[in-house]
Amino acid sequence: MIFFNYFIFPGFLFTAVIGMLASWVDRKVTARVQWRQGPPWYQSFADFIKLLGKEVIVPRQNRRLFLVAPLLALASVTVVATLLGRSMLRPQESFLGDLIVVIYLLTIPATALILGASASANPLASVGASREIKLVLSYELPFLLSMAIVILKSGGLIRINDIIRYQMVNGSILSSASGAVAFVAAILCMQAKLGFVPFDMSEAEQEIMAGALIEYSGAPLAIFKLTKQMLLVVLPIFLISLFWANNLSVMWVILKYVILLVIIILIKNTNPRVKIDQATRFFWGPMTVICIIGVILALIGY
Amino acid sequence: MSALIAKFYPMLIVDNLSRFIFWAILLFGALIAVYSFRFMKEKEGLAKYYLYLIFTIIASLGVVLSNNLILLLVFWGFLGFTLYSLINIEASASATAKKTLIIVGGTDTLMLLGIAIIWNLSQTFRIDQMRIALDQPIAVFAYILLACACFAKAGALPFHSWVPDCAKDAPLPVVALLPASLDKLLGIYLLVRLSLNIFVMNNAMNLFLMIVGAVTIVAAVIMALVQHDLKRLLGYHAVSQVGYMVLGIGTGSLIGIAGSIFHMLNNAIYKSCLFLTAGDVESQTKTTDLDMLGGLAKFMPITFAGALIASFSISGVPPFNGFVSKWMIYQGLVERIAAQKTVVISVLCLLAAMFGSALTLASFMKLIHAAFLGTEGAHKKVSEVHWTMWLPVMILALLCAVFGIFAKQIPLNKFVFPAVGAGEFVGFWASSWATLLILFGILIGFLIYFLGNTKGLIREDNNYIGGGAVGQDERVSGVDFYNAIRELKFFKYLYKKEEGKYFDIYEQGKNLLGFVGKLFQFLHNGVLPTYLVWALLGTAVLFLTLIR
Repeated sequence: MIFFNYFIFPGFLFTAVIGMLASWVDRKVTARVQWRQGPPWYQSFADFIKLLGKEVIVPRQNRRLFLVAPLLALASVTVVATLLGRSMLRPQESFLGDLIVVIYLLTIPATALILGASASANPLASVGASREIKLVLSYELPFLLSMAIVILKSGGLIRINDIIRYQMVNGSILSSASGAVAFVAAILCMQAKLGFVPFDMSEAEQEIMAGALIEYSGAPLAIFKLTKQMLLVVLPIFLISLFWANNLSVMWVILKYVILLVIIILIKNTNPRVKIDQATRFFWGPMTVICIIGVILALIGY
Repeated sequence: MSALIAKFYPMLIVDNLSRFIFWAILLFGALIAVYSFRFMKEKEGLAKYYLYLIFTIIASLGVVLSNNLILLLVFWGFLGFTLYSLINIEASASATAKKTLIIVGGTDTLMLLGIAIIWNLSQTFRIDQMRIALDQPIAVFAYILLACACFAKAGALPFHSWVPDCAKDAPLPVVALLPASLDKLLGIYLLVRLSLNIFVMNNAMNLFLMIVGAVTIVAAVIMALVQHDLKRLLGYHAVSQVGYMVLGIGTGSLIGIAGSIFHMLNNAIYKSCLFLTAGDVESQTKTTDLDMLGGLAKFMPITFAGALIASFSISGVPPFNGFVSKWMIYQGLVERIAAQKTVVISVLCLLAAMFGSALTLASFMKLIHAAFLGTEGAHKKVSEVHWTMWLPVMILALLCAVFGIFAKQIPLNKFVFPAVGAGEFVGFWASSWATLLILFGILIGFLIYFLGNTKGLIREDNNYIGGGAVGQDERVSGVDFYNAIRELKFFKYLYKKEEGKYFDIYEQGKNLLGFVGKLFQFLHNGVLPTYLVWALLGTAVLFLTLIR
């Protein structure tokens, strides 16, 4: 059962397919906003298959780590997908890990990207890696604060299935004032975790030529792209299970997911890329203040 | 073994806690000794070095087994002396050795005072017969005095400043043995004894420990972010990790205390592993300046593998051991939140601990990039170290993985829970299952690699930028990763103060002494009659008091 969950549903295969479709929605909407036609629905699959067939070129440095880094990212995202999916399907039992485990596992894709970039020994990749790690530092503070609000609101629960069950009985965390504040903060952190505009400075194509990914080609690049697409499913699902799990019937989950996806795409298409120090100031300044207000609201019971 | 120690009861005693720390001390002693054979080969005063090494290990075992506070103090003080002598082996480190001796020795004096108060309160020196309630101010004072000695030994704020200096200047095996592993084991061992056996903790004392722990974690790791020297960077992390252990004990819940003891063991493992890899780098390239290093992974793959695993472990990447113990400490805090005990401070500490962990990850990404990956540095071509130097690294890295993956089966059930009792887990982490699934995930990735590229063809090529080969002047070192953060207003102020040694208790103490000295300087004018007048006056006052 665990292996079915892991490889097929809701683990690897399911997340990958939905992620590719979501990524197509993103591209299509972006294209329409910019008065272009946009790709057909199977474009992400075609891209993936085409990349697999390409030649793999590795830089002369640290070839092993260069090739293993994408696999680490893929493995961690798949584990999180399985964990969240199973907790949603069967909220009566704990599976694999709790909230803290998920928070830590979700830092692995960024870590893997940084390691892969460093291993390629390209100066532009180093610049990308440096931006990525600074971005991680920046969004991690408000992200952790919004997680703290979830823990406070649920009365000290950290098992994901318990948090879901708590919301099924007591209504979603989002419906409280502090929960709503935390949810908004978490959405912006999710945007940064996805590496989408306005927080895509580590892969800025125009200035550092895809930065961290500059030396990647063929199958390793395909896996990094696939990981990003899977994150486009995993992160919204993560937020739904923490903040918005009052009703988890299939239609509601799909609706909630689509709403989050639309928000992500809207933010992406209405903002220019910011510089890394602006991102740091944004997350450590206004975002943190807002989150602290949220924590205070949670402490006094709102 | 236990029977032999039982003969010396009530001077010595062995229980589950001291037993596993006893074996840990022997393990680290043995590994460092093996490492030293090659590393110290060309140094002078080797006979002295090995003598003090053996003394250190014996004295540490003595501390762990003592059941008498005076005996414990004697061993404890002797350790301060061997530390001083070991640092002094390096001719250029005498100033650091002095600083270390003054901070560690000074807090030993506080400990003596604390023990005197305890005698006054309980009329005994036997640890197994003490249960002092912290209900009167004098008992609280004694607890704080003894805790100061623990903080200085382990390197928590505000007695931390000797650790980074020592890490930079002392011979490397000494750093890997004392500040990185044994001093942590002993400092936290005594703090646990204080909090569980000697005193009965109350909520206020727990809060004191939690705040010291949380501040230590964040402050030290922020300093570590901007270091330019590999060993000094590791030294600041050695301080930061102590914060987790103090915080864990402060939570006062079983799971938090068990987590902190587990973290103590884990920290000793990965921190000495990291210092040993730094030693490998130093012995091959003759420098630990991160500006000069780069691209070492290609030449020293085994050392790199050890450093990478230990870095994952210290940053709390699942499934390695550092993650499990941090996770247990967080659960201690969550338990406090659930029980509505001082919720505000518990939430703040939880945040400090988790954000500190993210900062640690960032700091180690910088280290890995600057020393082992990236473009090659200015050093000469190097090769992998002798096997006596990579074997200890590999053993410790293996322990990092095994203690993480089989956390519940081996270290927790065999060592930690018997020592302090098994706590109830608030969270859930099936480490072995998760590891298996992660491995399967990597397997999926490998299958994808072979799916398109059936012949397994991989072409190696050089790096190019804009059509040209990458030159030395285009090199981006990891050292400057965090300059953008350094320029933020608050951090700019903080780093300036730190560089001015504003937070260094040793420098502040020196300034205070200088000030007090100045107050009395006018008396010492060097004129003999003045001194005679003072001496006569003094004698007169003395006689008057005695005769009356």
